[in-house]
Amino acid sequence: MPAAVESPSATPLARKVKHRFFSPARVWALATNTLTELVRLKVFYFLLIFALLQIGSSLLFVRFTFQGQFQMLKDTSLGAMSIFTSMLAILATANLLPKDVEDRTLYTILAKPVPRFEYLTGKLLGVFLLLLISILVMGAMFAVVLWWRVHVVAGEILSGGEPPDAVNQNLSELYASAYDPALWAGGLIIYTKAALLASLTLFVSTFATSSIFTISVSVAGVFIGQLLGTARDYWQTTGTLAPNSLLDVAFFKPVVLIFPDLQAFNLVEEIIAGAHVAPWLVAKTIGLGVTYVLVYLFAGYFMFAKREI
Amino acid sequence: MTTPAIAIRNLTKVFPIPFKRERLVAVRDLSLEVAPGQVYGLLGPNGSGKSTTMKIVLGLVPPTAGSTEIFGRDSQEVDSHEEVGFLPENPYFYKYLTGAETLRFYGKLCGLSGSTLRDKTDELLKLVGLEHARDRRLGGYSKGMLQRIGLAQALVQEPRLLVLDEPTAGVDPQGSAEIRDLIVSFKERGMTVLLCSHLLGQVQEICDRIGILAHGVLVREGRLEDLISIEDQTEIIFRDASPELLAEIQALVARSYPKTSLVETRKPRTTLERYFLDVTSGSASRD
Ligand SMILES: Nc1ncnc2c1ncn2[C@@H]1O[C@H](COP(=O)(O)OP(=O)(O)O)[C@@H](O)[C@H]1O
Ligand SMILES: [Mg+2]
Repeated sequence: MPAAVESPSATPLARKVKHRFFSPARVWALATNTLTELVRLKVFYFLLIFALLQIGSSLLFVRFTFQGQFQMLKDTSLGAMSIFTSMLAILATANLLPKDVEDRTLYTILAKPVPRFEYLTGKLLGVFLLLLISILVMGAMFAVVLWWRVHVVAGEILSGGEPPDAVNQNLSELYASAYDPALWAGGLIIYTKAALLASLTLFVSTFATSSIFTISVSVAGVFIGQLLGTARDYWQTTGTLAPNSLLDVAFFKPVVLIFPDLQAFNLVEEIIAGAHVAPWLVAKTIGLGVTYVLVYLFAGYFMFAKREI
Repeated sequence: MTTPAIAIRNLTKVFPIPFKRERLVAVRDLSLEVAPGQVYGLLGPNGSGKSTTMKIVLGLVPPTAGSTEIFGRDSQEVDSHEEVGFLPENPYFYKYLTGAETLRFYGKLCGLSGSTLRDKTDELLKLVGLEHARDRRLGGYSKGMLQRIGLAQALVQEPRLLVLDEPTAGVDPQGSAEIRDLIVSFKERGMTVLLCSHLLGQVQEICDRIGILAHGVLVREGRLEDLISIEDQTEIIFRDASPELLAEIQALVARSYPKTSLVETRKPRTTLERYFLDVTSGSASRD
């Protein structure tokens, strides 16, 4: 075999690959790396708990009428989905940045031609991917359990020996109460809320000194975000708090700006309850979530750019 | 005049000490240049500001005053990082990634993809002798293997400059000798290297120039040879010299006393490092 001929004066790779101000490929590399990290940390084990919860609750509710049964199943499933994705968003994000700083992995990444903005965006996108996979898997589990229960109940109706008209009537009622297309919108809102919490957590971790602090602040954010909007509405309707009064402008509005107004995301509960929710309201809620995500990302970048690592 | 690989001009770095009014001056008014193709050793006791200087050169930490450049481009510009590979002090990489995945990840960050990236990964794993461990997770790597994957990671975009912060710290003598040989091979290929190390024996073997820092101040700087050769002495080494010949030579020297005097006659020794490597090289079953 002839010896490989060295190509004379091959241009080093560094000069062949042109650096760009923002490179989607680099962000994607960071995002998939973050996802791999989280997956190999075995975070998906929580899905097992969700599966058990699903099966347990569907067996527990068998003795209700099928309308009651499906309502309970939707309540527990989407409720659990909401809590699990929110928790996952906070817990998975809180340690990403501190760990890279502590292990000096961040030095090796930022020593490459990677702008800090891309680093943060990549990390956040990685968590978004994780949340997306989680909610899709939970949604699929929910769909399977729902389909199975519908199958069982339909079997009971068909073998009940009632006249054909009544059977058809019962079956269409069954499908109507089980399959509600608005549940898709519910899933989307749950996802948006989790994405918002992930970016809030990443923002906090850019200036926090420990992961405990980051997690505490983010969890506090969830409660404040939930309560504050409610409190403000309540005081305004009872007239204790005048709109645009000093208290409102100096306290409530800034606090609502820092902590996300999560009250809007309670729309999910109305969807689960089967109330008709206008599409524009869903779009508005998702738009609100996306705005918060961008605000926290830029605020996080602002903190991170100045930070001595 | 060629552009220096690294130019540091009047660099000062001050860290505030939390909850106190004092400030810590980690680097004070440091100026130095590293020419392309040189191996430059930055020496100094712990806490003398070596790592801080390196981080500023890489644009990871902003300077308090002064400036640093890599091949004429300000370190604060992200683009300047295309030309430089960095191995930080005691690095930990993502321990759930395998060796090959790690190099692919850093390659992607440098804009490599497809077959270029694949070839580069294979080439580097071979270069640092980790082909056998390419599909093992870094969590199971030894300290020496981690330093070598760190070196490979620094080389992924074929930079012209390498900055190595204690590349042999915590590595056994074999591993440390391998890393030294790699650095020598980079030098032969015309790369510029800035390194700091406490293994002065190795520094002496591979560096062209050194700078010594103490409390953030550059106290000595220059070509290694100029700094440590004893100008008024000469060493002659014989093989198989008979005692008679030696006696004759000593008599010869004694005649030109006091102009010339014999300082010492001794058997040259191999270094303990070489002796250790010779003795242990038979049992090469590490990693
Ligand atoms: N991020 C930091 N904040 C405060 N002080 C620091 C920081 N980094 C380094 N120092 C201090 O600066 C001095 C120089 O540190 P360093 O550059 O790591 O020294 P060396 O690498 O020579 O051992 C030390 O006294 C160290 O405590
Ligand atoms: Mg150091």
